[in-house]
Amino acid sequence: MTAGLRLETLSPSALARVIDGAPTEGFVVSGANRRALAARLGAVPTDRHRRIDAWLVERGGEPATPFEWTPAAARRILGNGALRRATSDRPVALRDAVRDEIDDLLCRVAAGRSRAGSLGAWLANRHPAELALVQACAVDWATGLADVAVATAADWSVATADAYYDVERARTTLRARRDLVVGDGAVVVRLRAGLPRRSAGSGLRADLAAATFADLDGRAPRRYVGVWPDAGVILAVDGTDTSVRAGGRVLVRAAIARSRLGGQLAA
Amino acid sequence: MTLTTTPTGSILEALRGDRSERPRRDTETAAGLRAILEDGLCELGDRLSRSAPLVVTAASVVRRDDAIDIARAPMGRLRGALVAQLVRLGALEHRSDNAFIDALRAWRVDQPAADLLQVFDDLDADGRARLATEVCAHGATLDRALGAVPAAWSVRTAVRTRLPLANGAVVLRDTVDLVVGASRDDTASTVLVDVTTSPIGSSAARLLRYHALAQCLRTSVVPWRVAMFSTATGELVTADVDVTLLGAAVDDVLGVVRQ
Repeated sequence: MTAGLRLETLSPSALARVIDGAPTEGFVVSGANRRALAARLGAVPTDRHRRIDAWLVERGGEPATPFEWTPAAARRILGNGALRRATSDRPVALRDAVRDEIDDLLCRVAAGRSRAGSLGAWLANRHPAELALVQACAVDWATGLADVAVATAADWSVATADAYYDVERARTTLRARRDLVVGDGAVVVRLRAGLPRRSAGSGLRADLAAATFADLDGRAPRRYVGVWPDAGVILAVDGTDTSVRAGGRVLVRAAIARSRLGGQLAA
Repeated sequence: MTLTTTPTGSILEALRGDRSERPRRDTETAAGLRAILEDGLCELGDRLSRSAPLVVTAASVVRRDDAIDIARAPMGRLRGALVAQLVRLGALEHRSDNAFIDALRAWRVDQPAADLLQVFDDLDADGRARLATEVCAHGATLDRALGAVPAAWSVRTAVRTRLPLANGAVVLRDTVDLVVGASRDDTASTVLVDVTTSPIGSSAARLLRYHALAQCLRTSVVPWRVAMFSTATGELVTADVDVTLLGAAVDDVLGVVRQ
């Protein structure tokens, strides 16, 4: 299904067009919409609290392999933090900003303010060469995000956190990943590595729906933009009634698929 | 194309040159090149399938008779993979006492290909010692050539391209070791550097233009220069990127797909 999806070849002008040309209004979900989503997700059995996001949607509900920290897994947190730091009141080069991010996390570990399994704890046990590689990966990420950010004429900021929505009585949390927020949340940008899957459009709609429900006022971002720099591709979906509803449907479908696959695995 | 034997000073400084001499950023050419590629691929019609995409890589565009077998052999690939890690570390000004240990640490944490990991694990003590000596020698050449990399330069390492063409039936894959300069600048300022542990062969021109084409299509901005540095010989080969060079790269890619 490609309705409502906009596909562009990545270029500075295309980025500007897609980000700055977002519609002026986004859909607003009502209490009835929230209750309907909760009822549908609540009807999908689960034996534990589950998290549904675009990644699960794109994988058709297939569970991910157990998480472990790698340079690729760490680059987004460090890279986004570095770009935020580099564009603050005391700007520094991205390379130095990433190093500062890593140093901050290591200081937290040294001060006993870090949990086991956290990024800081993982970094604290790395050889200097491994830390340098993590830094290189994060610099690459931050540079890619900066390339996207400077294309827009509007004010932008690096997202401080992903958006989460706990669905009432459904033992479900929805997550919308976001890297850049343009114009007070009007446009949200996600940076993605590799080649977009065929289900990338569904993933983007899932992000849009999750971000909309996570908003206290239920206001949808006017446009959700996925940028795949490796593939030179931009995908965007507008925050319309149709797209948000479609996003809700793919989230429910992912929960059903996850539940079925979980049952098969258990059997 | 210019071949410089054992360049003096930093290769990055030499490649970036004088800012005032750089041409304006070209954001127009990429669309035309893409159109020529798509037209050429469209003529192949049913021979291409989205369910089983044809993957074109830098290795595919090198003619078989030009191929440097030493670089494709498992030990050559392993050495190349380790030196590629040194490029990443060197670009961040990471300095070490033992290049081999550092390269190995970085390579292992970067989730290497299982087959290469097996090659390494199967090495006996002598084999590892030989590899360590080789990697340290290549690392020393690289260190001298890279020199100091200012933090203000926009440097990216192991930059990947995974470009879908013909509605996903063909995928252009590429990895460039170093990309210096931002494609967002008003002037052409992006320099691509491929580091090889083999001597520079007759296939260098094809490789360089393939890198330039992949970067150009990925960002829609024509890079300024593309270069290959050999840590085996210390030679540097460079080419300024223009429409002629990119057009030849398009022909190379279409030639590979038509085979």
